[in-house]
Amino acid sequence: MGAPRGLAERLLRAVIRLAPGESTEWATAMLRELDFIEGDWEALFWALGSATVILRHAAGVWRGWFKGRTKEDVGMNSTGKKALGVGLGIFSALALIGCAFAMLRLYLFPGLGLYRLGWTVIVIPEVIFIVAAVVLWRKRGPVAAGILTMALVVGLHLAVHLTAH
Amino acid sequence: MKLRLSPQTVLVLDAFLEQPEGWMYGYDLSRVTGLKSGTLYPILIRMAERKLLETQWETMEAGRPPRHMYRFTPEGLRFARANMTSRARGGLDQVALGLVEG
Repeated sequence: MGAPRGLAERLLRAVIRLAPGESTEWATAMLRELDFIEGDWEALFWALGSATVILRHAAGVWRGWFKGRTKEDVGMNSTGKKALGVGLGIFSALALIGCAFAMLRLYLFPGLGLYRLGWTVIVIPEVIFIVAAVVLWRKRGPVAAGILTMALVVGLHLAVHLTAH
Repeated sequence: MKLRLSPQTVLVLDAFLEQPEGWMYGYDLSRVTGLKSGTLYPILIRMAERKLLETQWETMEAGRPPRHMYRFTPEGLRFARANMTSRARGGLDQVALGLVEG
C-alpha cells in the first residue's frame, strides 16, 4: 500500500470516528470504495472529497441536534438567539481590542515599535470592526450589531480621551 | 419538486437509467459520470433521503468487507423517466425553435 493510499484510509477512518451515527453508514460506504480504486493518488483525492462530504453531512446532523435542543430544552426564542449573536459580536470585538492593547501596552512585539503609534493603533481595529460589520450584516445581523456597538463605544472613548487630553 | 436538478444530478440520474433495475457502486458511478466523490455522494445522500434511491450492503465472500450499492426505487425510476421525457421535450422545442429561426 502506497503512502497516499495509507493516508487516505487513515483520514477516512478518523473522520468516521468523529462523525455522528447518522453519517456513519455513508462514511463507511465511501471508505469501502477505496479498495476498488486503482491509483494511490486517486484514492487520496477520493478520500479528501469523501471527508468533506462526511463532515458537511455531520455538520447538518449536529446543527439539527443543536436547533432541536435549543428549542425544546433550553427554550431559547428568536430574541434569545439575537441577544446571543450581539453578545458574540461584542465578545469578538473586545478580544480584538484586547489584543491590540496588549501589543501596544505590554510591548509584546518591541521590534515593531507599536508603542510609538499611540492611539492610532485603535484605528486598525475600528476599520476591522466596520468591515466585519458590513460583511456580516446580511447573514449575521445581531453579530454585526454587537461589533458595531463596540466600534461605537471605542470610538466615543477615543474622542473623549482626545478631548480631555 | 422532489430534487433540485443540477447538471450533476442529471448525470447521476442518467447513469442509473442505463440499467434501471440494477445495483450500482459509488466508485462505478463516479467513473461513469466523471463526478468526484465530493460531488457524487451529496447527490446520492439527497436522493436516498427523498426515497428516490434504495441502498444495500452487498454481502461478499468471506474476508472481504461489504460494499454499498444503490438503485432506483420505483418512485425514483418514475421521477428520472419523467425528468428525461421533459428534457427531451425541451430539447425538441429548442430544435424546433432553431428551425423556425433558421
